[in-house]
Amino acid sequence: MKEVIVLIGNYGSGKTELALNFAFRAARQGKKVELLDLDMVNTYFRLTDRANLVKSHEIRLVSPNFVHSSVETLSLPAEVASAFALDWDTVIFDVGGDPAGATALGRYKEDFDALPEGSLTVLNVVNTRRPMAGTPAKLVRLMRDMGRPSRQAVSGFINNTNLARLARPEDLRYGYEVIREASIASGVPVLYTTGRPDLLETFLSEGHDPAFIGEPMAIETFMHRDWETFTKEGL
Amino acid sequence: MALTLMKGSEAIAEAAIRAGCRYFFGYPITPQTEIPEYMSERMPEIGGCFLQAESEVGAINMVYGAAGTGERVLTSSSSPGVSLKQEGISYIAGAKLPCVIMNVMRGGPGLGSIQAGQADYFQATKGGGHGDYHLVVFAPASVQEAIDIMSVAFDTADKYQCPVMIVADGMICQMMEPVELPEMKEYKVDLEKKPWAANGHGFSKKSGRSIINSMYINTEDLTVHNQNLQAIYREIEANEVRFEAYNMENAEIIVTAFGTVARIAKSAIDDLKEEGINVGLFRPITLWPFPYKELHDAAVAPGVKAVLDVELNAGQMLEDVKLAVNGDTKVDLLSRLGSQMPTPEEIKEKLLSMREVL
Repeated sequence: MKEVIVLIGNYGSGKTELALNFAFRAARQGKKVELLDLDMVNTYFRLTDRANLVKSHEIRLVSPNFVHSSVETLSLPAEVASAFALDWDTVIFDVGGDPAGATALGRYKEDFDALPEGSLTVLNVVNTRRPMAGTPAKLVRLMRDMGRPSRQAVSGFINNTNLARLARPEDLRYGYEVIREASIASGVPVLYTTGRPDLLETFLSEGHDPAFIGEPMAIETFMHRDWETFTKEGL
Repeated sequence: MALTLMKGSEAIAEAAIRAGCRYFFGYPITPQTEIPEYMSERMPEIGGCFLQAESEVGAINMVYGAAGTGERVLTSSSSPGVSLKQEGISYIAGAKLPCVIMNVMRGGPGLGSIQAGQADYFQATKGGGHGDYHLVVFAPASVQEAIDIMSVAFDTADKYQCPVMIVADGMICQMMEPVELPEMKEYKVDLEKKPWAANGHGFSKKSGRSIINSMYINTEDLTVHNQNLQAIYREIEANEVRFEAYNMENAEIIVTAFGTVARIAKSAIDDLKEEGINVGLFRPITLWPFPYKELHDAAVAPGVKAVLDVELNAGQMLEDVKLAVNGDTKVDLLSRLGSQMPTPEEIKEKLLSMREVL
């Protein structure tokens, strides 16, 4: 059965980073993967910035129309239909980071509805070190606000709490605590906890309740957003 | 103090709030739309006011009105939007009101591009609007500096009763870095310090009515008004110059640059230092008042053979650099146009080629 993963979440929560990690993991398992850049809100730091990297893994990439031309037309290509029409093993949607961005998903409701039961997973990526995602109430409200325009219910949370190059294990712990409250309040389970391998290992050794950790997944960093990496490697 | 992972634009907005700003009027434009977006979420949380105006012209005039009450007011825009605000900025300067205006510069002229630019140097420092006025102009080079400068900007605006501009670019606003935010500051209008505030209060403490105005139809009155403004500008020039001097010891060449470009130049300078070549960086943090004297001193220091001005425009700050150096040292320019950010390697190459003929 086709596995469809939709990543939603606030700006800077790490959706694109996780989209790449999920895609590469699937590709390594020999799966046929398509990756869709559905971010029509922010033209900086998007999945398409890593187009060459994605293609080098023999993953098909679909980008918004006129991407990287500095023209914001807010339009999606007809090619998005290939996610539903073609025979992929894994399809991953990377969606813009707020209720307006989530609107892009709403347009495909009929296609998502037509998927077989159990095929679709909508993951809400959370970094509680980001300013508008620091409390359980804010997380639940953001999730509700994204649910309406996206016309999709969230299947689960991903705890991806980090401080970029300054990330520490206590960031994951802080995320764990906030997301646990949000999970209890909303009834939405925690499906993954993701982070740099060393940080994740320390966090897991601390003996937290596995019910609010989900599947631990060590990730690699591909999206560089801070100055040190910019001057060395460019955007 | 806890670190937060913030985009430059979010950090700038939060820093303004923590400096006591409770009024924001703006209009969206890339690459700074995250500032109004953040304000729209945050202002209601803290009992402040966010208002998306019908245009940039509307927004700056709302700033004019709100600033007249003595409150701390911010607006932000990007180059084409800041052009639209110029009439209002001139009125605010003429009416001697404090406020902070953020310009997240993009490529121009016209609609230009949405990528980072530095071509609004003339607009920011040499007027922009009509009349003999100045803005104090700050040019931060990092997200953290943009945060730290925000409270300085509001304090400076209050101290001299003048509008203050902060110029940044898309790099600073879109970049995400772990940052440390200052403590929240509650701001209350103090009528002893702001007797001019027209907020309907404190009449007994004032010598007369508070009238906010920039019109002096009688030429003698206008002359006195302008003399008063000029006296304030001389005071600002004497007290508020800020700059960073980096690696100046034994420097053969001094690079002048502001904002993001200065940070790129710093990378080039660090690389050259490892190769045993000393290049200094002179970075004006205030573009107005410009550090003329300090730059001249640096440019004529023993061992300095040339100055290289690096800008993301056709050479606008170059004019002030030349005025400062006053012909005493050779000045060269590395100019990049059209939002094409120079790389550390390009700056390095330019410096090495200059060195060969010195």
